[in-house]
Amino acid sequence: MFSMDLLLGAVVLGVLLGCFYAAVSVGLSVSFGLLDVPHVAHPAFLVLASYGVFLLNDRYDIDPLVAGLLITPLFFVFGLVAYRIYYEIFERRGSDAAVRGIAFFFGIAFIIEVLIILQFGVDQQSVSASYIGKSWRFGEFRIPIRQLVAFAVALGLTGLLAIYLSKTFMGRAIRAVAQDEEALRLMGANPVRIKQFAFGIATAVLGMAGALLIIVAPVEPTLDRAYIGRTFCVVVMAGLGSMTGTLIAAIILGVAETIVLTVFGASWAPAISFGMLLAVLAFRPQGLLGR
Amino acid sequence: MALSLAIDGLHAGYGAVKALRGIAIGVESGETVALLGTNGNGKSTLMKCIMGLVRPDSGSITLTIDGAAHDLTRLTTEQIVDLGVALVPEGRRLFPKLTVKENLMLGAFRKTARGAIDRNLALAFETFPVLKEREHQLAGTMSGGQQQMLAIARALMSSPRLLLIDEPSVGLSPLLVSQTIAKIGELKARVGLTVLMAEQNFNQAIRIADRGYIIVHGEIAVAARSVDDLKANDIVKRLYLGGVA
Repeated sequence: MFSMDLLLGAVVLGVLLGCFYAAVSVGLSVSFGLLDVPHVAHPAFLVLASYGVFLLNDRYDIDPLVAGLLITPLFFVFGLVAYRIYYEIFERRGSDAAVRGIAFFFGIAFIIEVLIILQFGVDQQSVSASYIGKSWRFGEFRIPIRQLVAFAVALGLTGLLAIYLSKTFMGRAIRAVAQDEEALRLMGANPVRIKQFAFGIATAVLGMAGALLIIVAPVEPTLDRAYIGRTFCVVVMAGLGSMTGTLIAAIILGVAETIVLTVFGASWAPAISFGMLLAVLAFRPQGLLGR
Repeated sequence: MALSLAIDGLHAGYGAVKALRGIAIGVESGETVALLGTNGNGKSTLMKCIMGLVRPDSGSITLTIDGAAHDLTRLTTEQIVDLGVALVPEGRRLFPKLTVKENLMLGAFRKTARGAIDRNLALAFETFPVLKEREHQLAGTMSGGQQQMLAIARALMSSPRLLLIDEPSVGLSPLLVSQTIAKIGELKARVGLTVLMAEQNFNQAIRIADRGYIIVHGEIAVAARSVDDLKANDIVKRLYLGGVA
């Protein structure tokens, strides 16, 4: 039955889950929030990263976090190439880039799903590591260590990206590029190159995020569909492009999902993210922290 | 250090619209040259051509630095900024959702500009103390006058030798226009800049200009060797001094 203890437990787990959601959303906060790229394939890229981590863990027994780090440079290059293709085919040609871009990225997402199925089959896959499967107990509470690992790495990843965007020349240019491209050219920066680099960064952080995804729970080829609602909900609620906002919004989503799951049962959980996304779009389209 | 800008036979436009038709002007080391003309006569297009934002159809733009000539029509905006040219664009064009400090730091984006950041920041804050006070404020939330000061300070962050200023007076009250123009004059004397300033406010522009051109429908209608020459000109009398100035 429902009790205060249960609620408290749900909030704690919700915060941990929320930080994990922040880690899988920060990339989209850059690509969609700052660059206005309708990147609906973001969760598919995320799942692809998880399978990369799975491959390294399964074949070579590499720790999933180390594996995530190893595929990060690959994903950076993957992001550079993906943006270049998007830019040449859509953005460069003008005004309806967003609409046609959505179709393009949906296509890419399905292609990735199919490729994963062809290579790994439709079954769930998981990784092994010393911290997976154990729990911490405090009286009635039980917190899986894998959740704590994901929480810590997620906070680190989100913090690093926030610092990068606010303290470096490239980071500031990435935040400026959607505000006024021509003014940025006057500063001696090439907007297309800045956006391409930013998309590379947004994709590179999926290396670690993908590792967290498969550490937290087993993955399957179509798992990306569950994350379209979650990541877009977080990024829109955050106020497009704000890193602090992304963290706060992700925690709100995590807590809401966990409470609903505890009180009403698992079948309701997937409806939360889309429900919150619609509510934010209807009542506060500039996001929680937006001005 | 000697620097000069020479533009000759410049034609440019957007599609069928010819914004510039055979422009020829020159700016020499240490001068402040005013480019006068009302809206829609091609001043901004000329500025954008110099910065490489608009590619001219024909004609030449040559920047000579210490005897070495650079053809700006063949260079990218990045390369032109590296040569020491900066533009304060019309309408200021700040990054509204970034702070004052972040806007200034973006002015020093080029690697060639980063060595002098501390010196340039100090200069910006000393010249415009209000920017120091509002360092962490979002640029978009400042008043028009403060935004214009930030736009000028941001351009100075790349240590330019040739500063182009497009319509610094637009949208400002007469008092602020006067202050802004005075600041430009002050900075020029202090940093040893060469300045080309597009402006429609004749009386304000000639306070700091050494000489000027008048551009009408994309052509240079008057090329005056001094401010007195300008004042004596018939077209100027008709356009600017007759009453509406």
